[in-house]
Amino acid sequence: MNISRRDFLRLCTASSATLALSSLDLLRLEQALANPNGPSVLWLQGSGCTGCSVSLLNRISGSAPTTVGDLLINTINLAYHPNLMATAGDSAVAVARQVHAAGNYILAVEGGIPTAFGGAPCWAWTENGVDVTFASAVTTLAGRAKAVLSIGTCAAWGGMSAAPPNPTGVKGVKAVIGKSTVNIAGCPPHPDWIVWGVAKAIAGTVGTLDSYGRPRALFGRTVHDQCPREEQDETSTYGQDRRCLKKLGCYGPVTRAMCATAQWNNRANWCVDANAQCIGCTEPSFPGAPLRFHAEFDD
Amino acid sequence: MPTVVSVDPVTRLEGHLKIEVTVDYVNGVQQVVNAHAVGTMFRGLESILTNRNPQDAPDITQRICGVCPVSHGMASSMTLDKAANITVPENARIMRNLVLGSNFVQSHILHFYHLALQDFVEGPAMAPWQPSWHVDKRISGSDSQALVTHYVTALDMRRKAHEMGALFGGRLPHPPAFVPGGFTTTPRPERVTKFKAYIAELISFIDNTYLPDVALLEGYYGADYSQIGRGAGNLLAYGVFDLDQNGQTKLLKSGRAVNGTTAVQMLDVNAITEHVTYSWYDDRTNNLKPSAGATAPQYPKNSAYSWLKAPRYNGAPYEAGPLARMWVNGDYQYGISVMDRHHARAREAQKVAYALREWVAQLNTGGAVYRRYTTPGTATAFGLTEAPRGALGHWLRIANGKIANYQVVTPTCWNASPRDGSGKRGPIEEALIGTPVLDVTQPIEVLRVIHSFDPCLSCAVHVMRPAEGAKLFHLGHYRGAVQDSGQQRGRTRVSA
Repeated sequence: MNISRRDFLRLCTASSATLALSSLDLLRLEQALANPNGPSVLWLQGSGCTGCSVSLLNRISGSAPTTVGDLLINTINLAYHPNLMATAGDSAVAVARQVHAAGNYILAVEGGIPTAFGGAPCWAWTENGVDVTFASAVTTLAGRAKAVLSIGTCAAWGGMSAAPPNPTGVKGVKAVIGKSTVNIAGCPPHPDWIVWGVAKAIAGTVGTLDSYGRPRALFGRTVHDQCPREEQDETSTYGQDRRCLKKLGCYGPVTRAMCATAQWNNRANWCVDANAQCIGCTEPSFPGAPLRFHAEFDD
Repeated sequence: MPTVVSVDPVTRLEGHLKIEVTVDYVNGVQQVVNAHAVGTMFRGLESILTNRNPQDAPDITQRICGVCPVSHGMASSMTLDKAANITVPENARIMRNLVLGSNFVQSHILHFYHLALQDFVEGPAMAPWQPSWHVDKRISGSDSQALVTHYVTALDMRRKAHEMGALFGGRLPHPPAFVPGGFTTTPRPERVTKFKAYIAELISFIDNTYLPDVALLEGYYGADYSQIGRGAGNLLAYGVFDLDQNGQTKLLKSGRAVNGTTAVQMLDVNAITEHVTYSWYDDRTNNLKPSAGATAPQYPKNSAYSWLKAPRYNGAPYEAGPLARMWVNGDYQYGISVMDRHHARAREAQKVAYALREWVAQLNTGGAVYRRYTTPGTATAFGLTEAPRGALGHWLRIANGKIANYQVVTPTCWNASPRDGSGKRGPIEEALIGTPVLDVTQPIEVLRVIHSFDPCLSCAVHVMRPAEGAKLFHLGHYRGAVQDSGQQRGRTRVSA
């Protein structure tokens, strides 16, 4: 079960074509990982559902070793993750503080940040007897981070947690910390996109971002552009294989994501192959408009 | 002198939980003598649902929880089916069960190996296993090593359980295939074949690794942890996995058991109400049925200390979860404790996995999966099912073709609820009472009790909906309630 850092590099190399990691990225990644004091990862969870973390656990790639076990064991120092870390309470908070003091870490934020009611709808932890809001914890930890990743649509722009009427005033991370973030969008994001984001951040080569802060390498094309059903006859009901879902209100034409090519869960399936229309979960507008059965899109 | 121990964050569960326990010596044993459980996040998903197209409910409610989205998809689809008074095609009933069952298997494996086990096993000298609390770790070196190896194997197994579910669900988490009227996916033969291969591998893991590992844990910890963590003693299940179109028969039936008796009684949904006496809500909304539920925040409020309401059945606290389901179904009636919860959960994983193997063979590969759904203009309906961690209910009112009211009562609301109108503690709070604590700075015993319930706080605390202009304050203020009652004096405070 011991997976070396070299294996992680092999993973990244194997994935570099689809994930657009350049040889320069890989070189820098190698340098970063060769350093025993290389970047730690702090993963915080705010106003969300933990679905992004669960999705990360589903990581699998065609070339071994490529599971989340590999990732945890020898590739990154996942110093803080609420679902996975052994310790709790003060000693968990102390870990975050130590990493913060050392600097040069990757901050991955899952979930949005409530800003209503003084941040009270989400508490990160108690420190020295004082409850610390999630907004405060993220702002502090972002200050010394090498890079900040917004994991999922909630962290990127508010997402489901900020849906109208946005009862707790949820905002995305960038809007709160006032510092640019790499937005790995999706509700949830595909595990490969999350691993890509972490690898990129460690390599210190944040690629070109679109106007919404999403890496163009991952979110450069629409679902519809890559959809195998693009040319098929349209259907207006469920349970119809090999039919375009535009009449059901598919958001594929206006949603930028690699779902059609990456597919989901070890290529078991993906939304459209399940005859379910894309609901646009990688877009900043998600889920404001009706998710299904709205008027079909014009090309 | 009693010590108040605060554990915040409680890690290795879904969502945000803070636990405060008071520890004192009783008969020479240092133990928990009081407990408060506080959810520290809320999102207001119910107000997000209001005024939306009812057919958005499965997609929206799944995002209450990334660990049990399928249960919310099932509950909302069932609720909408009932609102329109339709039954879904057999293929849809079966595929819904296949995806839900896959997530039960996934969640139970995840819970035992990745959320609970580190309370007992010393992990490798690296994150995320370290730092950890080095207290009362009894398992021998070689057994520990085996369990850590199985931790890694189990990561693959739970991933495969999700891949299995995604064959029909479309993807996991947040499968898009649950819709009112049935299901979107067709049961193509290659999907059936792949599902059969996955379930064979998972059954092998459950039979040969998961169940033996629970027995191994029992060998080291059974003597005391089969006594620790009893809680409310009352068990409640809504039942799950319909075996016919009308849900008359289920793999795990509905019912309840009172005070640990093996006699199972009928469940009357009208006996369920939600108390807010110790919750930050207006007392005028106390003791309402979910179908008429209201959420009117009030802060400050004397004695209140939680954003969770307290669901009660005929005014009594009930535990929900695998132990409750297996007990009600007559499959497991040995005891109510930390170890019993782990045993029942593992045996339920096995029971569901075996059922999945049968059900996938019942699919009709050419048959219908969907019946065109027309949203009723006006309707009320509810849907009762089970999440991996316990009973889940959705209550819906449609007016003018839109959602007028949506109420969700989750298993963690039952389990992590605060005290009710008569002052009775919630099941987790009650389960903590009497738990011995060796070291108040590393109260590992408290985590063991909490984790045995597999709490899911995003589920529990999503229900809060602040009224216009309502103020929400520092959750730490709930300690004021303790001070008001005069119990606070003379205590030292420790944060663990």
